[in-house]
Amino acid sequence: MKKVRALVLTGFGLNCDVETAHALKLAGAEPERVHINTLISGKVQLDQFEILSLGGGFSWGDDHGAGVIQALKLKNHMGQKILDFVADGKLVIGICNGFQTLVNLGLLPGIHGDYQTRSVALTWNDCGNFRDQWVNLAVDHESTCVFTRNMDSLELPVRHGEGKFLTDTHILARLRENHQAVLRYADTDGKPAGKAFPLNPNGSLDDIAGICDTTGRIFGLMPHPEAYNHFTNHPDWTRQVFKFKGDETKPAAPLSLRRNRLDVTPGIQIFKNGVDYILSNR
Amino acid sequence: MVPDMITCIETALKPALFDAEGENLIKKARDYFDIKLTDVRSVSLITIEADLADRELALIRDEILTNPVTQISSISPLDIDFNWCIWVGFRPGVRDNPGSTAMEAVRDLLGREFLPGESIYTSKRYCIKGHDLTRPEIEKVANELLANHIIQQWRVFSKGDWDPKTGTGHVVPKVMLDHEPEFKILKIGSDLELQAISDERNLALNPRDIPVIRSYFSDEKVIESRQAAGLSEPTDIEMEYISQARSDHCNHNTFRGIFHYRDASTGETVVEKSLFKTFIQEPTLALKDERPWVVSVLWDNAGVGRFDDDFNYVITGETHNSPSNMEAYGGAITGIVGVYRDPMGTGLGSRLIMGSYGFCVGDIDYNGPLKAPLHPRRLLDGVIEGVKDGGNKSGVPTTFGQTLFNSGYMGKSLVFVTALGIMPAAVTGRPSHEKKTSPGELIVMSGGRVGKDGIHGVTASSEVLSENTPAGHVQIGDPYTQKKMHDFLLIARDEGLYEFITDNGGGGLSSSVGESAMISNGCEIWLDKVPLKYEGLDMWEIWISESQERMTVSVKPENIDRFMALSREHEVESTVIGKYTDTGKLHIKYGEKTCAYVDMDLLDKGFPRWEFDAVWIPPELRGLTEPVSGEPANYEKLLCDMLARPNICSKEWIQRQYDHEVQGTSVIKPLVGVNRNIPSDASVIRPVLDSEKGLVFSQSLLPWYSLIDAGCMMTCTIDEAVRRLIAVGGSLDHIGGVDNFCWPNIQYHPEKNPDGKFKAAQLVRACRGLKDACLAYGIPLLSGKDSMYVDGYLTGEYGESIKVSALETVQFSTVGIISDVKSCVTMDPKMPGDSVYVIGVTANELGASEYYELMGRIGLNVPEVRFGRFKIIYKALEKAISQGIVASAHAVSRGGLAVHISLVAMAGGFGIDFDLSNVPRDNSKGILRNDTVLFSESPGRFIVTVPPEHCRLFEKIFKGLACSTAGSVTDSHSNLNITGLEGNTIVGISLEKLEMEWKKPLGDMV
Repeated sequence: MKKVRALVLTGFGLNCDVETAHALKLAGAEPERVHINTLISGKVQLDQFEILSLGGGFSWGDDHGAGVIQALKLKNHMGQKILDFVADGKLVIGICNGFQTLVNLGLLPGIHGDYQTRSVALTWNDCGNFRDQWVNLAVDHESTCVFTRNMDSLELPVRHGEGKFLTDTHILARLRENHQAVLRYADTDGKPAGKAFPLNPNGSLDDIAGICDTTGRIFGLMPHPEAYNHFTNHPDWTRQVFKFKGDETKPAAPLSLRRNRLDVTPGIQIFKNGVDYILSNR
Repeated sequence: MVPDMITCIETALKPALFDAEGENLIKKARDYFDIKLTDVRSVSLITIEADLADRELALIRDEILTNPVTQISSISPLDIDFNWCIWVGFRPGVRDNPGSTAMEAVRDLLGREFLPGESIYTSKRYCIKGHDLTRPEIEKVANELLANHIIQQWRVFSKGDWDPKTGTGHVVPKVMLDHEPEFKILKIGSDLELQAISDERNLALNPRDIPVIRSYFSDEKVIESRQAAGLSEPTDIEMEYISQARSDHCNHNTFRGIFHYRDASTGETVVEKSLFKTFIQEPTLALKDERPWVVSVLWDNAGVGRFDDDFNYVITGETHNSPSNMEAYGGAITGIVGVYRDPMGTGLGSRLIMGSYGFCVGDIDYNGPLKAPLHPRRLLDGVIEGVKDGGNKSGVPTTFGQTLFNSGYMGKSLVFVTALGIMPAAVTGRPSHEKKTSPGELIVMSGGRVGKDGIHGVTASSEVLSENTPAGHVQIGDPYTQKKMHDFLLIARDEGLYEFITDNGGGGLSSSVGESAMISNGCEIWLDKVPLKYEGLDMWEIWISESQERMTVSVKPENIDRFMALSREHEVESTVIGKYTDTGKLHIKYGEKTCAYVDMDLLDKGFPRWEFDAVWIPPELRGLTEPVSGEPANYEKLLCDMLARPNICSKEWIQRQYDHEVQGTSVIKPLVGVNRNIPSDASVIRPVLDSEKGLVFSQSLLPWYSLIDAGCMMTCTIDEAVRRLIAVGGSLDHIGGVDNFCWPNIQYHPEKNPDGKFKAAQLVRACRGLKDACLAYGIPLLSGKDSMYVDGYLTGEYGESIKVSALETVQFSTVGIISDVKSCVTMDPKMPGDSVYVIGVTANELGASEYYELMGRIGLNVPEVRFGRFKIIYKALEKAISQGIVASAHAVSRGGLAVHISLVAMAGGFGIDFDLSNVPRDNSKGILRNDTVLFSESPGRFIVTVPPEHCRLFEKIFKGLACSTAGSVTDSHSNLNITGLEGNTIVGISLEKLEMEWKKPLGDMV
């Protein structure tokens, strides 16, 4: 079967393109890193791809609000093509700076086909600083999001200064009602963090870490699934492994760990869900 | 050319939203100065100097500057209430990164180029509320928290001062140099004349170089060839070129100098002909022959080692001390972004894969009378932020770093930055670590433009900081522009579009072109082609400007069109500024005029080497003794106080600000343990994502031992950096080193530097230690740098000036390869029931220890590295780790066993019972009491935990070596219990309490 082609944007200060492409490859896709200007010039055509990935980084230095200028550039030069891409039933994933770009483009929250209204924002963390830490994430089971299918919780790193999710009560109510708030910062038991720092690292409203549009095909999240591409990325892996390979009489390692070591990490699973969706809908 | 219109667009968060920046200011004003601000709202100002229609301005405001969900904005001043308002903007000519990206966005949005004279500037204002705040208080906040007068200007408005219509007024920090570019002919008829020129122009020429320079220009052949080119006496641009090339920064005159070393106690004298050759080059070349993984050393911007058959790694380390002392943020960001250009300019260029930092600053809570340019706390805030923006925005993980405090760094603080890259072993069929320039190739400058930035930065860092140091050499790095250039150049490299690449750092084009033209043996430069930030620079300024984010590249004429097209696609500015030749001449033209014409080999014309007198006075002769003190009774309080020492306590807030996981390569993070907050011995990354191979990296800084003997400082520092590597799974088979020396001035002067000879002797001893350690452990020095003037003059209580010198400091970095990252080990005990082993001998070596420092003493028994014995132990541990039988391993360092068993316990989250009587001990250096065993800083030691089922095998590996079970991991309690030598319990503290004490000083910072 022809592999799923995924486009990973590069250029202008984006910086997670190499590992995002790697993660997509591990997930079974055929990724291509494409400079924003190459896409705009038409040398590479967006419609040749089935997944569009907007990755992490500091596009245009994030100097005027994270993702703002990237969104503007894409809107001005690629706006219709991106809308067509979405209308074709294809997938868009925005991670960190890519998520910030999607909300500034209006592609998210994308409530019932409105892909142009900026109604949510990712703003400066309450802690006042950039922060790198791993978070526990609870998945909304009832979400239509194709990237998180069959997942109930996972751990991923966040690395951002502007990840605090904000919107008004009206939009928040709709996000809840539509199960668009796919990922929430949570405690180790998977209960929402209730804004408690550092479980919720940025003060996000309703502990929201990631949202999708109402079709579930556009997904934006602050944590970095591509940074959990190998089980040794997990901060506790040396503890987990030692338990795993240690004394056989001791309790066996949790199943998830065996899976991590032997199969795909939860980070890769997110991309794999996207790839599987495309394959099963071809 | 001056546009008529100046518009200022103000944006702020909606009033109901939390303003984190404002909150931070409230916190700092309270914590640092006890000034109580009740509310602060920050406002961003974008001042546009361009003739734009109202419609266009509205578009800019709505599309670029205002987030409809979170922000409000206005083309007139926003109506935000305040008692005081502080406006802060850049001074003219200071790099304004957001201003520049705004211009990019506007250009794209409006499809309109900016005309000459048009620009966008950013600034901020803070609307402050508070009861009874006085103008002096607000000015203090402005001057000491918000603005640094070296790069910024500020204004304070009371409510009465404020005109709601005009607001801050339209301040445009535009550089206007009403000046025709020119070059000057210098009259150097006598040595005195040239010396006067040197002083006046801040050339920092060594007096002994002056006759050599003069004799060159009076050589008849030289005169004749210069006449043919239309020149006679030297031009200012030529003299600046010589000054740059001869500076200590570029030429390493100290390390290439002659040292007359004398031991004051024995009278023995030795002449060290070149520290570099004897102690760095020779051992490294010898080791290169033994170690096939050493690919390229001692000549390029960074060293190259083999990662695997397909890839080589690149490593270098730098300091950026002087600029950071005056403008901490700007200095540090320029430092990290600058060191990142070195791997980019090594071989045919590498992709950056990691960075690290080392900060050495004065006492963070200093409240004495000395006035430094910046208070250590403010300085640290600034350097942390600078490295954060520089590293994070470069997309390079910062996986390791250390921060330490010592009063000596009040004079000059140190900012170490280290960079690693990776490149394919071959690029378009040729070895990537080789490169050359050839006649006929075009010289291309890529990246940023040239302004007056950093002029005389190189010579300034070669001088002691004084009131006359030009502040103009402070810059602000631009990681965004550099990241675009990095991405572009890697593609150009892989397409084979260039033959040579190097970065523009110290000395600017003068160094990068001057040095690369030595290979082809000549060049012709067209200075008028160099793109400028603003008009009006003189030729010599263009030539030596250190404006950042530039690389110099050599491109064959047949590749230039493709190179330039790719550059345009990436929106990176590239310009052909000359060509390489083989004329033997450095020929600089501006238009049709020749403004420099000197021989490429001018620098080999017999410049004298620097000479130093070095006199070693052994510590006993300096009056150092071991202190006379009885044994402490309260070990619990003592341990808690040790954990809360600034150099021991948690600094998690710094590490967390640095993205250490970008690129998805993280294996061992900077913070480990059950609560993910204990500093790891080393970091490990997996730089090639489809390989299981790892790159392990660590660093050490132990400057305190220089109080007794810098030779021991050096060996202990290297030993610790090696041990840290071994502790996570590194191997003695592959350790590359990077030495970064920071030394106070060693040139003796009876009044200005009366102890210069001693400091010179310390340098010689450190270099000897370096060679000994490198040969013993088999560490080739892949890279290294020196910064020789870490002194400063501070103003004292009575207005007097006081010289403060930093400790003789070396940061030593180690790098190694791990064949399978799955075999890596962290320092946290993994399971209750495991045995705790102490490996290595504890002796009475408390000299210059953290414990003695707490007691206000120095002592005499400085720790001693016993290479032969240690190596056997390290090999054994390496073997045990590779067999997978070690659950945790940790190198014991500053603070001794007591501090490090505490860190191990906190990392594991299990109780530990620890018995001092089972610690391997050596009484030969003096008796060992409980406090000696607990706090001695004997090198060569580890704390290791091993599961019961592996203990037999583990003990077999260590048979006959200093290794014994000194405790156990338990879940029957959650304490650290320590039994003393007499069998009584001397410490029983809960992990919770240990962690609380350890976090007390800086743990609540975020």
